[in-house]
Order: sequence, then C-alpha cells, then structure tokens
Amino acid sequence: RYVLCEVVSEDPRCRQCIEDRTLGLAVRDAIARVHGDYGLACCSVSFTVKYLNAYTGTVLLRCRKDSYRLLCSALPFVRYLESRAQRYPCFLNTLHVGGTVRTCQKFLIQYNRTQLLRLLQTCTNEEERQCIQKSLLSCSLTEEQSQSGDEEEDDGTE
Amino acid sequence: RRELPDGGARPNAAQFKQLVVTALRDLHGEVGAALPVDVLTYEEKTLSAILRVISSGLVKLWSALTLLGFYQNRRCAFRVLQTSPFLLALSGNSRELVL
Repeated sequence: RYVLCEVVSEDPRCRQCIEDRTLGLAVRDAIARVHGDYGLACCSVSFTVKYLNAYTGTVLLRCRKDSYRLLCSALPFVRYLESRAQRYPCFLNTLHVGGTVRTCQKFLIQYNRTQLLRLLQTCTNEEERQCIQKSLLSCSLTEEQSQSGDEEEDDGTE
Repeated sequence: RRELPDGGARPNAAQFKQLVVTALRDLHGEVGAALPVDVLTYEEKTLSAILRVISSGLVKLWSALTLLGFYQNRRCAFRVLQTSPFLLALSGNSRELVL
C-alpha cells in the first residue's frame, strides 16, 4: 500500500530540512511508541519513503498491505522532525491511500490543481496572482506530465 | 490463571498489574498498554493470579506475558495454566479430574 501525506508546519525552516531519512526515522519512532516492538517489526518489513517533495511537503510512503492500518494510525503521532540536532514541530496530514504509485500520482495531480486554484483565490498580492495564473496556464493538460502541476510556490502565501 | 515463578522479589497486586501493563507496552506500544486488563484475584503466596481481558486482546496479552523476561533485574517467567471464557471453569482443571 502507498500512503500519500503532506507535512504541515509553521516553521518555514522545516521545509528545507525534510529528508527521506529523517522522515523515515520519525515515522518509525512514532510506530514504535504507539504499537511497540511488534508493530515496529510488522511495519518495517518493507517500509520506505518512496517520494519526497520538499517544496510542497508531499511524502509518499510504502508499506505492506497487512500493516498499513498500523502505519496510518501512527501517523498522527509524528509531532516533530529532527535533523542536525534541531527539532521542528510539524504534523502529517494523510491525503490518500492507494495500491499503486500511479493512483497516488493521479490523486496528487488533482490535489495540486485544486490547491493552485485555492491559492489563487486566497492570495492578496497582485503580483502573486500573476505568478499563480502563469503557472496555472503553463500546466500541461495531459496526465503523463504530472510534475508541471507541482509548481506551487511557497513565497509567503502558505 | 497465571503462575509466575520468581527468584526473590514478591510483587503485590498493584506491582503485578504494573508488570502486566509494562509487558504490554513493551510489545504492543501505547495501544497495548491501553488494553483494559483486570486482575481479578492475586495470591502473593503462590504468585498466581486470574486476569480478565477482552477476547480480542487475548493474543496480545498472552504474547506480551510470554515475552516478559525480567522483573527487577531477576529472571522470571509467566506460565499460563488455564484460559477460558467462563470464570467458573477456572476453579477446576478437568485434566486432573479423578473419576
């Protein structure tokens, strides 16, 4: 199973230090706290961080089908990310659970589109509006090129 | 019914419950420690007790007790003598019944 989640944090420096290893360790630690040795072993059999987007904070985790419920229930217990001896408070939002990477990718494209529209509605600055409109128009219409939909910017609106 | 052979220390009822909950927490985390376990009786002389747990939690409880190896730095072991859904059935062991 593939779990798509989003890292939400108030600290802007947190975004820069998101790495797959730190995130994996944080999630494993949360599973160990919530489900103990048994849960940790159960979920860590084939647990990997498949995809990580530091700009948008999107993370795709992979785990076994039998233990994905343990993983999902432990995700709200991830309270902070630790890297280089600094702790950044954050929390994970689960967006989508899918069976393949393709379904998660399709969902991510749709989600990014709706996020862009939402950003357009909520942004107050004129030049930010122009920026967002330009990136919206430059999104390609075919679903194969999903990465162009990831052009969200973090310059102050979020 | 559980029997707990031990070296020297004799836990009282509260310490026994603490031991059980700690075992659950080690193996099954906070979810396991939150499992409602009741100690119905406890005999300090024989170190045996009757525990009650919801039937879906039996596997977790049994596995946690089996894997608990130490109490106050002394080796110990839990032996499960009998399990049954009825309390009355624990009063007699039908295997030792002499006809």
